[in-house]
Order: sequence, then C-alpha cells, then structure tokens
Amino acid sequence: MSNNIKCNAESVRMEASIGRRSSPTRSKWRKVAYGGMQPGFEDNHTDESFLEDMIMNASVVKRDLLKVMLDSVSISQYVCIVALVVLVWTYTLRSTFNENSLMLLDVILLGAGFFVFLLTAEMLSFDLLLSYVLKIFFFITGLYVLSPIYHTLTRSISSDSIWALTASLLILHLFLHNYSGSTVKAPGALENPTFTSNISLNASIVASLLIASRLPSRLHVFAIVLFSLQIFLFAPLVSYCIKKCSFRLHLCFSFGLMAATLLFVYRLHGLLFVLLLGVLVFVNLVGPYWLIRIQEYKFEINGPWDEAKLCFNITE
Amino acid sequence: MSKKMSNQEKHRILMVSDFFYPNFGGVENHIYYLSQCLIKLGHKVVVMTHAYQNRSGVRYMTGGLKVYYVPWKPFLMQNTLPTFYGTLPIIRTILIREKISLVHGHQAFSTLCHEALMHARTMGYKVVFTDHSLYGFGDVGSIHMNKVLQFTLADVTQAICVSHTSKENTVLRSGLPPEKVFVIPNAVDTAMFKPAAERLSNREIVIVVISRLVYRKGADLLVEVIPEVCRLHSNVRFIIGGDGPKRVRLEEMREKHSLQDRVDMLGAVPHAKVQSVLITGHIFLNSSLTEAFCIAILEAASCGLLTVSTRVGGVPEVLPDDMIVLAEPDPNDMVQAITMALHILPQIDPQAMHTRMKTLYSWHDVARRTEIVYDRALRCSSQNLLERLSRYLPCGAWAGKLFCLVMIIDFLFWHLLQLLQPDRDIEVVPDFRLTDHQRGETSQDFNIDDSLR
Repeated sequence: MSNNIKCNAESVRMEASIGRRSSPTRSKWRKVAYGGMQPGFEDNHTDESFLEDMIMNASVVKRDLLKVMLDSVSISQYVCIVALVVLVWTYTLRSTFNENSLMLLDVILLGAGFFVFLLTAEMLSFDLLLSYVLKIFFFITGLYVLSPIYHTLTRSISSDSIWALTASLLILHLFLHNYSGSTVKAPGALENPTFTSNISLNASIVASLLIASRLPSRLHVFAIVLFSLQIFLFAPLVSYCIKKCSFRLHLCFSFGLMAATLLFVYRLHGLLFVLLLGVLVFVNLVGPYWLIRIQEYKFEINGPWDEAKLCFNITE
Repeated sequence: MSKKMSNQEKHRILMVSDFFYPNFGGVENHIYYLSQCLIKLGHKVVVMTHAYQNRSGVRYMTGGLKVYYVPWKPFLMQNTLPTFYGTLPIIRTILIREKISLVHGHQAFSTLCHEALMHARTMGYKVVFTDHSLYGFGDVGSIHMNKVLQFTLADVTQAICVSHTSKENTVLRSGLPPEKVFVIPNAVDTAMFKPAAERLSNREIVIVVISRLVYRKGADLLVEVIPEVCRLHSNVRFIIGGDGPKRVRLEEMREKHSLQDRVDMLGAVPHAKVQSVLITGHIFLNSSLTEAFCIAILEAASCGLLTVSTRVGGVPEVLPDDMIVLAEPDPNDMVQAITMALHILPQIDPQAMHTRMKTLYSWHDVARRTEIVYDRALRCSSQNLLERLSRYLPCGAWAGKLFCLVMIIDFLFWHLLQLLQPDRDIEVVPDFRLTDHQRGETSQDFNIDDSLR
C-alpha cells in the first residue's frame, strides 16, 4: 500500500511541475517507458524533472584543520616507532648493543606493554589473562626454537640486496599500514584487519627476519626477532589502548616519542635526521592543509541509478 | 510524422557490439530484434561482432541479416582485446564493402563498439550509440569506464538510452547535452511469450524466479525472502531457474529450512525454454540490485504473470502500476510486497495482460523511433578533423590532449591505408533482397504479430 502512495505522490509532483507551463492541447509528459512515443513529445524531450533525484555530496564529511592535524599525530607516532626499530637494528648490526642488553630491552618492552594493556583494558578476567600469558609463552618458545633457522636463512644473499629489500619492505609496510586501528584484533576493536593491513604486517615481519639473519649468534637472532615482532605486532595495539584511554595521554606519548626519536636519529646521522624531520612536518602540517584544500573539489553523485546496498550482512 | 519519414531514403546500418548471437542476453536480443524490424522497414542492416568458438566469418540470419564474425577471440568477459588501431583495416573494409551510411554501436562495456565508433568517426560516418546499462561513479572500474565513454561520446552524432533513469545516468557520466540523448526502450516479442492456454488454478500459487544467480541480481535477497514467504503463506511454491555462483547459498537455504518440496531449482534455463517455465507460475519475482531496463519483467508480463520487483534503476518506468508491485531492496519490504501481490492476484487476467502488453511494447515501434534518430543523425552536418578535435579537448586537462593525439594518429593511419589499398580497390557487395516467398518461409523463426503493422 505504501508503494502505491509513493507512486501517486511522485506522479502528482511531476504533474504539478509540468502543469505550470504546458499548453492545454498537450497531455503531460510522464516518466514512463511503456506505450510508445508520448504524443506531443519527442524521444529526446528533456523534462524539468530531469536529474531531480540526483543527490550531491551526501556522505562527504566536513573536515576541521585542527582535528585532522591531531589525527595525523597517530601516523607520525607510528613512523617514529618504526624509526626507533631501525635504529635498534643499526646499533645491533654495528655491535653497539650486545645480546644481553637486547634481551633486557625485550623484557622491559614486554612488561611495559602488558602493563599498559592491563591498565586500560575494560574486561579483565583471570582466564583471559592466563590465556594471554600462555600464548606469549608459546610464542617466545617457538621463536627460540626457530632462531637457528633464521640465523642461516640468507647466508647466500649479498648484504646489499638485504639492505635494499629491507628498506623497500619497510616503506611498503608504512604505506599499507592501517593507522586507524590495530593490526591484531583487540577486544572491543571495531573492525577486522583488512587485506592491506595483513600485507603490511607480513612485510614488516619479513624485513625483521632479513635483518636478523645478518647477526653473529643465535641469541642475537632470537633477541632481535623477538624485539621486532613485539613492536610490529603489539605497538599498534598498545597505542590503540592508550588512545582509547585518554586522548591527552596519547598526545603526550606521541610528542615525547617524536622528540626522543629525533634526538636519537640526530646522534646517529645528520641526513637521516633531516629526512625524518621532513617526513614528520609533511605528515603533520602539510598533509592536513592539502587535504582540506582539495576537499572543495569533491563531487559525489548519488541517484536512482545506484546499485542498491544490502542492509544485512551476508553470512556464508 | 513517422509516415512521412518512412518514405524517405532507406539507410544502410552497421550494428557493432561484442555481444551477439550465439550468446543470449538483453543486448544480444535487442540488436537482433531491432535489426529484424529495421529490415522489415526496408533498411539494410549488417551486424559486426567477434568470433565465438568455431563461429567465424560471414553468416546470414533470418531475413537476410548479414553478420560478420570477425576472427578475434574474446579475451575478458566477452570483450575483444582493445588494440586501438588494429580494428581499423577490417572496419574500413566492411564499411566500404557494404556501402554503409551509419554505424550504430551498442553497450558501453564493449571494446569493439568503442573502437568501431572511433574509426567510423575518423572516416566521416555518422554514429549512433546505445547504452544498455547503469554504472556508478565511485569505484575504480566505473571511473575508467566513464572516461572511455566520455571519449567515445564526445563526438557521437546521437545517443539512445533504454530508460529515463539510464538517460540521466549517461548524461552525467559522459557530459553529453541531454537533447542529444533519445530514450527508446526495449520491447518484448509478444508472439513468443504467450500465456498458458488454460488458466492455472489458484489453489497453489507458484512464484517464478528466472535470473543469473549472482550478487548483482539480488540472489542474497532471495535467500532471505524465500523462507519468510514460505513460512507466512503455506500455499506458495517457488520455481528458481538460472545458475551462478550464488546457487550454493540457495541450495543451503533450501536444506536449512527443509523447503525441498516447496522450492524447485531448475538450473540454467535455455532461452527457448523460458516461456514454458514462466507459464507454470502466477507471480514473477525480480530481486535485482540494479537494472537499466529489465526485459525479464516484460517477458513475464507478456506471459500473464503479475510481477513483484525491487525499485531500482529504470524498473519503475517499465510497467504500469497495476501490472507490477514494487518494493525497496529490503527483505521485509519484499515480503510485504509479495503478500500484497497474493491479494491482488485473483483480479489478474493473464490473457488481458498479454493483450495489453501488445499495445504497450512492440519492436516495430522501437524500430520506427530508431529510424527517426537515424534520420536526425544523417541530417547533421559533417565536420572536418579540426572541428572534431575541439570537441575532445574539454574532456579533461590531460585526457583531452591524449584523446586528440589518439584521433590524430587514427586519421594518419586511415590515410596510410587509403594509400596502400585505395577505396576503389575494395569490392562492393551487391545488394540482394529476399523474395516474399523466401521471407515467408523463414519468418516463422521470428514471429511478429501482423496486427501491429
């Protein structure tokens, strides 16, 4: 019944708009395909109601410059985390860090991450905690058992290829990373990991294994792989927990991290420092401004010709 | 006015598309029926398409319709490989050999059509383009397809769309002025789609679904709707014809709700058998998510079935309100629409509906209206290369210049071909007309009601 009422309303509105200008001898033009040529109208007649149902820019979000800049802090935070990881790798390859300090670093990171997660997690049950501890234990044991394999993985590949490959994989990782959520599905996270975020995670893991295979001893390998995987797998989760807990804390953490990274990179190499600074400025300042500028050109068209969207989920 | 037009000169038309017999579908049937009706009006029609398996070379179909199956195999979704200039020699040969006056391309998704229209414009022929589908604007595939369409339609003489919604969509996608676009809908062969001789009993209501079982045709909606309808109305049965990737989901739904005796799955139904499946039902259900113009609905209405359909695209324009019940593409709304259809069903008379369809849609009417478009196209002035290039430049900052470059190279290649193989060296095909005797015998394959002429 409601469909007929809608049909009638539409035809009445069309007739009302046409009735204003049609001559009494011509019948009204109707938006129908049946009945052959409409008498008095040619086939290319364009009515006043042409493109009446077109809706423009229906779902376009009006963005505010400050909010976009604050949101872009997540991106630069992650870039700094990856920069710190590369720093640790460089120092390890130069034998500035030895394996004991690396193991200590691992334990500290594990403890700190766990601590943050516990503080900010809402649902806390002993079973869940126990399952997490068990999983981490198995993970670490597995890595330790497999570390001899990683040690000799790329013996036959030249170092230059390794550095080039690692660099490209890290760039791929940063490019495809999912900055809005976390790569592992945290309890209470909104959506499943996407296809590109899986690719980026794989790229980062391969990069860390490649670097690990250049190290002198098995303990080195185990320590560095554990360190890298801890960061790449769990850093997004931890930062997501911090962001969920309090935005101010997130901002403080990010700015602190950025400052620390810039300081360490400055001590390592001047050119890299300039590069990192350039990237951070671009991501935080230039990027948001550019986005807001080109937002004016957005033109989204919707209308009755669109494919209908199913309102229910397809469960296979 | 159309009577005066039919006394004008007869045209020689080349229909180009990747989609033609032996495939069956909306575009294929449209080209075939339109060609047959134009031949009956006295014009000469030649069809050009790519080769299908062994079917390559020149074939003749009913009524003397000549079909060139150009020997390229399709490479992706029934389309030939888009080499920009590879088709120029063969198209030039066909155009000169058959003394064509006008080229009519079909379907935006057909690469052969775009190339043929481009070459025809280079060689100075008038072109008409018919768009049969709706496209979006947002995803990557649509954006590229729309750019290609903008290129082809920048210089087209006239364009035809199959529904008013399709006209709005085409005008937005290609930037054509709306006055250049004609709306000529498809039609249905009412002589083939006749209702059953005896009315079916209303004890058990049969709902028929015939479509490809893919996402676009709303197979997922069917999975939600069918169990609910079977639960609410105990005297309703479903017949589902067609095949596709979503068939598995429908079989699972059948198993899960134990509807094996109430839902029949027939598998793929060949086109010749569609009418026999339709006449076993009372109601036709169409759940597509997007349709420019749904011929399936016309076929069902011609067989006397009441239609229940989703309100998408051009579907609301296709049938009068008393022959169709529309619903939003939402399972609850569709179940309500089916319930309403069941209430209306006793008032439906299949024979009356069939007779009414004969007055509403006819391929002869479509051919006459298309003839008017052809006359209009041939009256347009010819333009030289420079004037035509100026139409391509507004297509975009980079695209405009690229399109101009493509057309200039095409022009040069055409002149090179004229040097290598001059026009007068290409043999012209003599016309032959089928005698009435031959036409009478062969026209049984293509039955058109004489009362319409």
